[in-house]
Amino acid sequence: MSAIAVGATRRSWRPDFWTLVAVGAWAILIVLLLIPLGLVLVSSFRDESGVLTLANWQRLFGSTRYFNAFINTLIVGFGGLAGALLLGSVMAFCMARIQIAGGRFVSMLAILALVSPPFIGAYSWIVLFGSGGIVRQTLMSWGIFMPPIYGVWGILIVFAFKFYPYVYLLTSGALANVNRSLEEAAENLGLTPFQRVLQISFPLVLPALSAGGLLALIHAIADFGTPRLLGRGFNVLATEAYAAYSAEIGSNLGMATTLSLALILMSMVFVFIQRFMSRKNVYHSNLINRPEKIRLRGFANVAAHAAVYVIALGGAMPAIIAAIYSVRKTNGPVFQPGFGLDSYRRIIATLGDVVMNSLMFSGASVLLIVVIGTLIGCLVARRNTAQTSLLDATLMVPYVMPGIVVGVAFIAAFNTPPLVMTGTAAIIILSVFIRRLPYAVRSSAAALRQVGPSMEEAAISLGYSPVQAFLRVTIPLILPGIIAGAMLSFVTAVNELSSSLVLYVGGTITMPVKIYIAINDGDYGTAASLSTILLVLSAGAIYLAFRLLGRDERALL
Amino acid sequence: MAYLTVDGAIKRYGATTALNGVSFSVAKGEFFTLLGPSGCGKTTLLRSIAGFSQLTEGRVDLAGHDLLSVPPHKRDIGMVFQDYAIFPHLTVAENVAFGLKARKVATSEIRGRVAEALATVRLAALADRLPAALSGGQQQRIGIARAMVVKPRLLLMDEPLSNLDAKLRLDLRDEIRAIQRTIGIAAIYVTHDQEEALAISDRICVMDHGCVEQIGTPQQIYGQPATRFVASFVGTMNLLAPAAFGLPEVKGVAQWALRPERLRLAEAGAGAGERGAGNGAASIAGTVEHFSYLGREAHLTVQAQGHRLVAQIGAPPPDLAIEAGRQIRLSFDPADLHGFDAKGRRVQAELAA
Ligand SMILES: Nc1ncnc2c1ncn2[C@@H]1O[C@H](COP(=O)(O)OP(=O)(O)O)[C@@H](O)[C@H]1O
Ligand SMILES: [Mg+2]
Repeated sequence: MSAIAVGATRRSWRPDFWTLVAVGAWAILIVLLLIPLGLVLVSSFRDESGVLTLANWQRLFGSTRYFNAFINTLIVGFGGLAGALLLGSVMAFCMARIQIAGGRFVSMLAILALVSPPFIGAYSWIVLFGSGGIVRQTLMSWGIFMPPIYGVWGILIVFAFKFYPYVYLLTSGALANVNRSLEEAAENLGLTPFQRVLQISFPLVLPALSAGGLLALIHAIADFGTPRLLGRGFNVLATEAYAAYSAEIGSNLGMATTLSLALILMSMVFVFIQRFMSRKNVYHSNLINRPEKIRLRGFANVAAHAAVYVIALGGAMPAIIAAIYSVRKTNGPVFQPGFGLDSYRRIIATLGDVVMNSLMFSGASVLLIVVIGTLIGCLVARRNTAQTSLLDATLMVPYVMPGIVVGVAFIAAFNTPPLVMTGTAAIIILSVFIRRLPYAVRSSAAALRQVGPSMEEAAISLGYSPVQAFLRVTIPLILPGIIAGAMLSFVTAVNELSSSLVLYVGGTITMPVKIYIAINDGDYGTAASLSTILLVLSAGAIYLAFRLLGRDERALL
Repeated sequence: MAYLTVDGAIKRYGATTALNGVSFSVAKGEFFTLLGPSGCGKTTLLRSIAGFSQLTEGRVDLAGHDLLSVPPHKRDIGMVFQDYAIFPHLTVAENVAFGLKARKVATSEIRGRVAEALATVRLAALADRLPAALSGGQQQRIGIARAMVVKPRLLLMDEPLSNLDAKLRLDLRDEIRAIQRTIGIAAIYVTHDQEEALAISDRICVMDHGCVEQIGTPQQIYGQPATRFVASFVGTMNLLAPAAFGLPEVKGVAQWALRPERLRLAEAGAGAGERGAGNGAASIAGTVEHFSYLGREAHLTVQAQGHRLVAQIGAPPPDLAIEAGRQIRLSFDPADLHGFDAKGRRVQAELAA
């Protein structure tokens, strides 16, 4: 008798706020994720007239064009992974274990590489190493032949420099945390330095290495701008999906969705492989004895510094080039000798609404991400049920969805009633929101797990209701983390290109989309100055986040 | 008169039963301790009284009113946490004032009461500091002041000292006891440390596997353990077979138990070694296996007739050293034996003489 009575009275006073949050979370995921994805799936099994067919999938594997794109995606994926692993681990090792002059400057350059606006990277490489590139022309005039950077090798070089920070930031953190006693113990047991690295240090940083590699891989296969600008006929799934969607004549949504699905499946397979590989490899070592950075001498020292600075400057080069080109004199789209603020004047005169769009859309999505992400994060962290685990797992899906796919899926879902959103600002805001939501959920859940439930219980035992306790104790404690997360979300939101590119209309152009258009039109001054504005915004947000969180570059991933 | 009563408390987590029908009552002003090995359900019971987890079955009454239908924040029960749970974003004084603010106490009064509470736990000098830089002992003092300052109807403490080092534990435990007496509040204290329980409590409830093994004063718990579990969990016991060392057979006794400090060292070698053992003393011959000198006492492990016995020698002379392998005689008074039946329950047996 009492058990039932207790249960009943309990439920009557506790506000079932969290149940509402769970319902809301599922509603959001169903409308913004599962239905669009379901429609993508359905649409990949239909032809233009809506008849059920396997033709799209047959074309994916049957036609040389799409099959090549599939193979090419794997090539850039693994090539990008290999390049990022190489540069990232060299950088990580040097920075974590060797005294490098200007270390802080170097890690700043790595952050710059990470937040460089999309497209401008590939463009800057063309400026230096393209057919008419400055470096290439100079070398040619000295009689040294250098092939232009186009094609698969160009893409791989750009990817290596663009994605190495993922590997570097994660691995250097892990390397700096390997307890020195472990390595000393190994040395003491008679292992050579090489054996020591291979048998002790390597397994300990493997989880970080593979997590960083996975990020590089996923970003490489989802990247759309680099192959588009540098590929010159080297097409990947992302560019083909966009081409199938945007073709002026014979736009083929069915083919676009099929290609998108292939892309998602590929990302998911890699995520699961990485999870499987590192399932047991979580080591917790105590940090009593942190490794010391050694000081190299002579040639070794020069080599280490050269490696670090080449990688760091190579990665940050696009941002630097953009900043320099943004202050070159222009006449219309054509650069003139000398420097001036013409490009910025033009932006203020004609592109104010583009900048405003970017700021407003990013602001709105960050607001949504923060509020809803925090609520769902609290739910996931505090209610450990099968339902919340499923919620957490479902949130992994947007994590691996390439932007192009989100764009195509939103077109498939919101172009027809009941919910027509195509051409609105809302669809762009929501696309950014759903892609970034998993990060916010994870980070707020992590912050909340740090706080622990006894804080809230203490407040309740002192007479505060559960909601008051949450507001007066938990929220103030996780607020710095939330704001920092918001800043980092802002960086991704304001730089987001590939889904907006599918979803934008004339009135909802954002800065990254305008950069893409400007580069395609040859208006490099505009592209460079818009990129520089984006960089400044991103840098400001990151500075704020670091002020709040303490400096931790890994938060940027 | 019972102030708090817990009646038939059962708590199940799926297949595991954390509490299996626990009943007890606590008087006003009493210091009541739940003692038991980790995992026996102490925390579960405490959190059910506080309202942070719900009993599957059972009643809890406080001052004659049903407690379980009251939401936790209206129960007016103070709680001290094992991990302190001090709010890191508030100063020491703000932490202590936190509960008073919820009760809408006037600001001027808050200031006075906070100062008084901080003085009681000897933290007045740190009132305006943030807690992050404070030691564990200081943080737990804040926790105690914060819980006490609102004058709750009942104070719950879940292993409040277990994260502190040994010396601090002794000091703070005496302080807790003194403060509780001064305020005259009923307190339930959870610990797995039997020495702490004996030292601090008016009454102790020994628990195992979600069940109450015995409730009694420290003297009763230690001196007349109701079950073999209590006997060996609280202090140390030598367990003897029913017919060992020529002990008389007593009906129902399946096992004897004897405290190490009740075993006396009879000077070996001399033929009349039993002289000091007094009237009716039983005597055991054995071989020393191990001797450790601890200063205020010494421990002697002796192998005798297939039993491994531990004897505790109080105030050993500084030159006492017994090497392993030496033959030795131990003696004890059969009245000090505790008899337990096959189910581990105490058997009252008259053994003297
Ligand atoms: N939330 C829970 N879910 C499942 N089992 C639990 C939970 N909390 C406690 N238990 C189980 O209940 C038993 C009693 O736990 P607890 O009350 O924490 O013991 P104690 O505080 O005495 O160490 C343990 O076996 C524990 O595993
Ligand atoms: Mg416990």
